[in-house]
Amino acid sequence: MTVPRIAIRSALVVSAGLLLGALAVTVVTGCGTVNTTSTRTGPADSAVEATTKVNNLLQQIFLTAKEVRMNRTKGGPMEVQVDVENNGFSYKTFAYRFDWVDAKGNVIESQTSVWKSTNVPSGGSTVIRSVAPNEEATDFRLQVRRADS
Amino acid sequence: MRIRTASIASAAALAAFLAAPGCERARYVETGSPEGIISVNDVDFQDILKASSGMLESLGQTGVLKTAKNKPAQLIIGDVVNDTSSRFDVGEVTYRMREQLVNSGQATVVTTFGTTPEDKQAQEVLRREKFLKGETVEPLPDPDFSLTGKITQVKRSAGGTKQATYTFRLTLTNLRTGLEAWTKTVDMTKLGNKNAVGF
Repeated sequence: MTVPRIAIRSALVVSAGLLLGALAVTVVTGCGTVNTTSTRTGPADSAVEATTKVNNLLQQIFLTAKEVRMNRTKGGPMEVQVDVENNGFSYKTFAYRFDWVDAKGNVIESQTSVWKSTNVPSGGSTVIRSVAPNEEATDFRLQVRRADS
Repeated sequence: MRIRTASIASAAALAAFLAAPGCERARYVETGSPEGIISVNDVDFQDILKASSGMLESLGQTGVLKTAKNKPAQLIIGDVVNDTSSRFDVGEVTYRMREQLVNSGQATVVTTFGTTPEDKQAQEVLRREKFLKGETVEPLPDPDFSLTGKITQVKRSAGGTKQATYTFRLTLTNLRTGLEAWTKTVDMTKLGNKNAVGF
């Protein structure tokens, strides 16, 4: 019994698609990946317990928070730094925004609370940071959003 | 078979038409949000906000304004030059910084001080008038710092792909010593063939 022509054609199309997909994955993972290492083996002195919460937030856009540090700057306001890692296979672009909160829990309106975008190559890392607008700020609120494409 | 193919083609065409960028309905978006338009060859509002935010954070981090003789520090906003092909008011950067610094009490901005002959003459006339009226002469502004800056660009292209790097740089000069007290550079690089909505 001969195989119908349409079945053969469908099989060829599917095979071509799979081959192209495999090639695309190879190209994507092969180009633009970064390997990262560090001389530091333990957490920083200024690392805070918010790492788990920040990590849970970043996991939703397929990134990882390695460490969250907060310290008081020379000028007086607090500064937060978040080490963001991309352990996935693709380049990630995302936007983030820090809002600062005072001891009573009120958000401090500031011209520094703006959306900023950055990107992390596969296997790479970046540091997102913010400095509080004044010395009354004690905590921060972080929002992240993934790029549409 | 032909009818099914035609139906699928029509459905695909309709979906493509609805998804086309030209069909974006007008709506409000948060100013400076990532949903806005990103221009490869122009400075966007998001860039201005990012630059002013970076400058303010650096000022706060270094605490340079606290070293001023006056409390709060007195600032003169000098020339900030836009040396790019993008037309925008450089005041958008400095106004936002002034708003935060002045309203938070970190600095005051001297808006009437000047070194031109007309300003000095006006100040002299004011002093004389107050003296003749027997009024106490208020001390004239005694600025601590002047803020100046420049915005530059570097553009390159590879085939149809364009890259533009915009650099915002501001400098605070101590007017008592004549030395540079603080400086900050914020860079922004954009890459693409054409402008896009969202990032």
